[in-house]
Amino acid sequence: MLSYIARRVLSTIPVVLIVALFVFSLLYIAPGDPAAIIAGDQATPADVDRIRASLGLDRPFLVRFGDWFWHILHGDLGTSIFTNLPVTHMIAQRIEPTVSLLILTLIISLTFAIPMGVIAAWKHGTWIDRAVMVTAVLGFSTPVFVIGYVLAYVFALRLDWLPVQGFTSISNGLWPFLRTLILPSVALGLIYMALIARITRATMLDVLSQDYVRTAKAKGVGQRRVLFVHALKNAAVPIVTIVGIGFAALIGGAVVTESVFAIPGLGRLTVDAILRRDYPVIQGVVLLFSFVYVLVNLGVDLLYTVFDPRIRY
Amino acid sequence: MDRRGFLKTAAIAASGALAAPRLSLAAGSKTLRFVPQANLANLDPIWTTQYVVRNGGLLIWDMLLGVDDTLQPKPQMVESWDSSPDFKTWTFTLRPGLKFHDGEPVRARDVVASINRWMVRDAPMGLPIKKRIDALEAVDDRTFRFRLNQPYPKMLFALGKSSTPCLFIMPERIAATDPYKQISEYIGSGPMRFKKDEWVPGARAVFEKFDGYVPRAEKSNWLSGGKRINFERIEWQIVPDGATAAAALQSGEVDWLETPIADLYPLLQKAPNVAVDIADPLGNIGSFRVNHLYPPFSDVRARRAVQIALSQEDYMGAVVGDDSSLWKTLPGFFTPGTPLYTENGGERLKGKRDYDLAKQLLADAGYKNEPIILLVATDVPITKAQGDVTADLLKRIGMNVQYQALDWGTVGQRRASKEPPDKGGWHIFHTWHAGADCISPAPYTALDASGGTAWFGWPKSDLVQEKIAAWYAAPDLAAEKTAIAELNKAAMDFVVYIPTGFFQFKQAWRTNLSGIVKAPFPVFWDVTKA
Amino acid sequence: MSATTPQHLAAPALPAILPVPKERGRFAGFIYRHPTIFVGGVLIGLMILIALLAPYLGTKDPTALAPSKRTREPSALYWFGTDMLGRDVYSRTMYGSRVSLAVGFSVAVCASVLGTFIGLVAGFVRVLDAVVMRAMDGLMSIPPILLAIALMALTRASVQNVIVAISIAEFPRVSRLVRGLVLSLREQPYVEAAIASGTRVPAIIWKHILSNTLAPLMVQATFICASAMITEATLSFIGAGTPPTIPSWGNIMAEGRALWQVKPYIVFFPAIFLSITVLAVNLLGDGLRDALDPRLAKRL
Repeated sequence: MLSYIARRVLSTIPVVLIVALFVFSLLYIAPGDPAAIIAGDQATPADVDRIRASLGLDRPFLVRFGDWFWHILHGDLGTSIFTNLPVTHMIAQRIEPTVSLLILTLIISLTFAIPMGVIAAWKHGTWIDRAVMVTAVLGFSTPVFVIGYVLAYVFALRLDWLPVQGFTSISNGLWPFLRTLILPSVALGLIYMALIARITRATMLDVLSQDYVRTAKAKGVGQRRVLFVHALKNAAVPIVTIVGIGFAALIGGAVVTESVFAIPGLGRLTVDAILRRDYPVIQGVVLLFSFVYVLVNLGVDLLYTVFDPRIRY
Repeated sequence: MDRRGFLKTAAIAASGALAAPRLSLAAGSKTLRFVPQANLANLDPIWTTQYVVRNGGLLIWDMLLGVDDTLQPKPQMVESWDSSPDFKTWTFTLRPGLKFHDGEPVRARDVVASINRWMVRDAPMGLPIKKRIDALEAVDDRTFRFRLNQPYPKMLFALGKSSTPCLFIMPERIAATDPYKQISEYIGSGPMRFKKDEWVPGARAVFEKFDGYVPRAEKSNWLSGGKRINFERIEWQIVPDGATAAAALQSGEVDWLETPIADLYPLLQKAPNVAVDIADPLGNIGSFRVNHLYPPFSDVRARRAVQIALSQEDYMGAVVGDDSSLWKTLPGFFTPGTPLYTENGGERLKGKRDYDLAKQLLADAGYKNEPIILLVATDVPITKAQGDVTADLLKRIGMNVQYQALDWGTVGQRRASKEPPDKGGWHIFHTWHAGADCISPAPYTALDASGGTAWFGWPKSDLVQEKIAAWYAAPDLAAEKTAIAELNKAAMDFVVYIPTGFFQFKQAWRTNLSGIVKAPFPVFWDVTKA
Repeated sequence: MSATTPQHLAAPALPAILPVPKERGRFAGFIYRHPTIFVGGVLIGLMILIALLAPYLGTKDPTALAPSKRTREPSALYWFGTDMLGRDVYSRTMYGSRVSLAVGFSVAVCASVLGTFIGLVAGFVRVLDAVVMRAMDGLMSIPPILLAIALMALTRASVQNVIVAISIAEFPRVSRLVRGLVLSLREQPYVEAAIASGTRVPAIIWKHILSNTLAPLMVQATFICASAMITEATLSFIGAGTPPTIPSWGNIMAEGRALWQVKPYIVFFPAIFLSITVLAVNLLGDGLRDALDPRLAKRL
C-alpha cells in the first residue's frame, strides 16, 4: 500500500514537469505585452521598452525557464508582473472562495444526484426514470453561465432571497458564508449532478441484477436497505471515479461561475491573468490546478480500497 | 515542483487563508463600498498611467497643488510660493503638519525625490521641466526651489495636473525607486492609508482613514481644499461583470458604481434608493486613430475619405446607447464647454455622409482593395463598440477591412509597432481621451503631430506643430483662442486623428449617500452615508 | 491497478468492446427501440437545415449595423429583437448555428483523428507508451477550458483557432480510450494469431483494431462534439473565442450579457438554440451507445 502511494506520487512528478514545460513554452510564444498594459495609454514606445527590460521579459527563453524552475524547486512561484505581490500570496488569498465553492458544489451535487440516480434505477423504465434522465441530459447541455444568470435573476433580483454576487469568508459566520455560495454552487453543480446521477443509475442497475442483491432481497431485507446499503456501497467505486474525473470540468466551470457571481477565487485570478499576460500568475495557478487534479485522482484511487475490499495494491 | 516545495506553498496558502483578517461584514455608515471602473492591479501611479490607479492614488498620496472644478491649480500641500519675474526660479513652502502614514513628517527632500521620479515619466509636462532644470533643491525641511535655465510659466499646472501621471508626494526612500520599476510600499500623506494586507488584486482594495491627516481649512473643490473623509473604511470591490455590478447596487450590496453600463441607466433610474447622474462633466472624446506611416492612410486623401463618411451619431449610439443627452457630435478636437472649444475647420464631420466622394478620394489616393488591419480591443466595451461601427463603415466605402479581435493588452503592444501593416503592424485602432486631457494642447498627447516622437500613428505635420507652439506663446486668452481655432483647422485638414464624438458616462449610487460631485475622478471627501 | 484506472472506469464514455449488433428491424421498430437516436437525429437534422438554409429563412445580413434601431424588443419586424448595435438577433441566431455546428463537428473529427493516432502509437510502440501517456496525463490535468483559453490567448481569434484549441484540449481523452482498446484487443486470440502469423502491423491495425474501435469512437466523438459546442460558447462568453465579427451563439450571448436584466431576449434565444443542439447531440450519443453496445444498452 505504502509503496503504491510512493509510486503514484513519484509518477506524478514527470506529469507536473511536463505541464510546467508546456505551460511555460505556451506563454513564451504568446503575443500581447504586459509592459504595454502597464505603461498605459499615454506611454511612449520607449517607456514600454524600458519597462519590458526592467521586468526581465527581454531575456532568452531558456534563461527565463531555468530561472523560473529553479525558484519553483524552492517553493517560490515568483512575483506577479502587475501587482508586484508573490504569486503564492495571491494564490493564498484566493484559495478560500474556490475551495469553498468546490466543496459546497460537491456536497450539493452528491446530496441530490445520488438519490436521483438510485430512484431512477429503482423505478427503471418508468416515467420517473425518464424524467430524471432527461433532466440530467439537460443539465449538462446548458452552459454554466446561462444557468447562473437565470438563478441570479430569479432568486437574487426578483425574489431577493440571496445575494447577487460576492463572497463572505467563513470567519464571518456560517450563514453569511453559505448565503453567498448557494447560487454559484447550484449553478456549477447542475452539470456535476447530471453526471453523477447518470453514473449512479447505471451502476445501480448493474449492481441490482447481481446475485448477492437478489439473495439479500430473497432473505427479506427491506427494499430501502437493499438499495442504500447493499447496492449503493457497491456502486460507490464508479461514483467516486466520476467525481475524480469530473474535477477538471468542475474547475473549468468554476472559472466561469466566479466571473458571473464576482467571486474572488482562483478561477477569476487565472482568467484575469491570462487576459493580462501576467505570466508568473498563470504559470503558478495552472501548475497548482494540475497538481491538485493529480492529487484528487490519487485520493480517488485510494478510496477504492475503502469501498471495495477486493481491490488490493 | 518537488514535494517539499509544494508543501511549503500549501502551508503558506493554508496559513494565509486562516490568517485572513476578519472583514467587516456590517457595512454601516462608516464603510463605503465602491465599485471602480477597472481592477486595481497595482498601485504605482507613476509607473503606470491607468486612471484607476490614479484614482486610488488620490486617496493615498497628497499633491502639492490640486485642481478645482475649473481645472485651475490651487494650493494643497504647499502653503505659499514665489516665482521670479522671468519664471526661471520657483520657490515653494510646504504647509505645516503634513505627515506620512508611517508617522514621519513630510520634508522638502521627500518632495524633491518625488518630483525627480515623476518628471522622467510625465512626457507632456514633466520632461519639459527636466530639460530646463539647473537645480531642484530642498532649501530647508519645508522649502524647495527650482532653478531653471529657461522660463517655465506653466509650473503650477504641471505640479497640480490631474491627468496621469500626477505628481504624488512619496517618502524619499520610496521615491528613490527607478521610475521604470514598481514601488512596493504604498505610503503617502493623503487622507486614507492603503491596507495592503487586505488587498486582493482583482477583487478588493481597502483604504482606512488616516487620523494623522490634517485637511486644509477651505471647502473642498475637486482636488483642492480640505479633503475631509467621513468613513473609517473605503472598500473598493472589483466586479468585472457590469450586469452583476448593477444588480449588486440595486440590492444594496454596494454603495456606489463609478461606471455602470449605459444601457442599464434607465433600469437604475427606476430602481428605488438608487440615484444616477453624470459622472464627469468634461466627458470623453472617442478616437479613430490611423497609422500615418503606411498607405493608404499616409495619403491625406484617404484619411479625409474616412472623415467625410464617418457618422459620429453611429459611433455614439453604439458607445453610449439611446440617451442622446449623453453625447454630442464633435466637429473639433477640444472638450466642449471649455474655454478653448472651437469647431473651426470641422465641416467635413458635419452634414450628410458622402460615401461616393469617399470612394472617389480613396481611388485618388491609390487604394486598390489592400486589406486594412483594424485592431479592436474586444474586452473594453468602448473600443469594441467603435471597432464594430468602423468595420461596417469601411465596408460601405469599399475598403477591405480585416477586423482583428484582440484584448487591450495586445492592442497596446501592436499599436506600438512601426512595421508595415501586413508584417505585424496596423492601420487603425480605437481609444478615447478624457475630456480633462483635451482642454488645451499641453496635456493633449494625442494631438501632437511631431512624427516619430508623436503618439501612436505618428502623424507629422509642421503646420500643426507650428500652431501648437503659437498657443504656448499666446499671452492672453484671446490670443490662445485664435491659436486654437487655427490649430483645430490645421489638425482637421491634416486629419491627425478622427474624433468619433463627445460622450459622457453616468455614475450611480445608493440614495443614502450624499455629497457626490461630478468630476473626472471619484471624489470621496465630503461624501457621507446615512 | 495502474494510473489509468479512474479513466478506465469512466463507463459512460468507455463502453466495452463488443461487435455491432446486426439488427435490421423495420423503421418504426428502430424508433421504438432507440427513441433517443430518433429524437436527437431529427433535432440535429433540423439544426443542420437551419445552418444550410440560413440565408433563405427570412434573415437579413447578420452583421449589418443600425445603431438607430438598437435594443428593440422582439416584434413582427424583428422576431428575436435587435442587439445593442441594432443587428437582428433572429438573423444572428440562425447564422450562429453554422459556427456551433462547424466547431462541434470539426473538433469531434480532429480530436478523434489525432487521439486515435496517438492512442495507436502508444498502444503499439511500447517504448513510447510511458512517455506519451504521461504527456497525455499532463495535458488532461489542466482543465480543458483553462487550456483552451490559454491557447486562444496565444493566437488571433478565429474559428480555426478555436477548433484547434478545443481539439488540443479534448484529444488526450480519445488517445487514452484508443490506447486502452488497443491494449485489450492485442490480448484477443485472433489478434495474437494475426501477429503470430506475421501479419504486418498496419494491416492488423486496419483489419482488427480500427474496426473494433469505431463504435466506441463514434460514441466518444458525439460527446466531444457536444462538449466542444459548450466550450466554444464559453470561450466566446469570456471573450477568448470566435472573433466578434462572426455571429456565433457564444458571441451573441457575450454581447447581450451586460443587458440580461433589461433585454433578456438577446441572451435567451441563442441560449435556447445552443441547449437544444447540445441536448440533441447528447441524446444521439446516448442512443448510439445503447444501439452499438447491448451490454450498456441495458443500463443507460
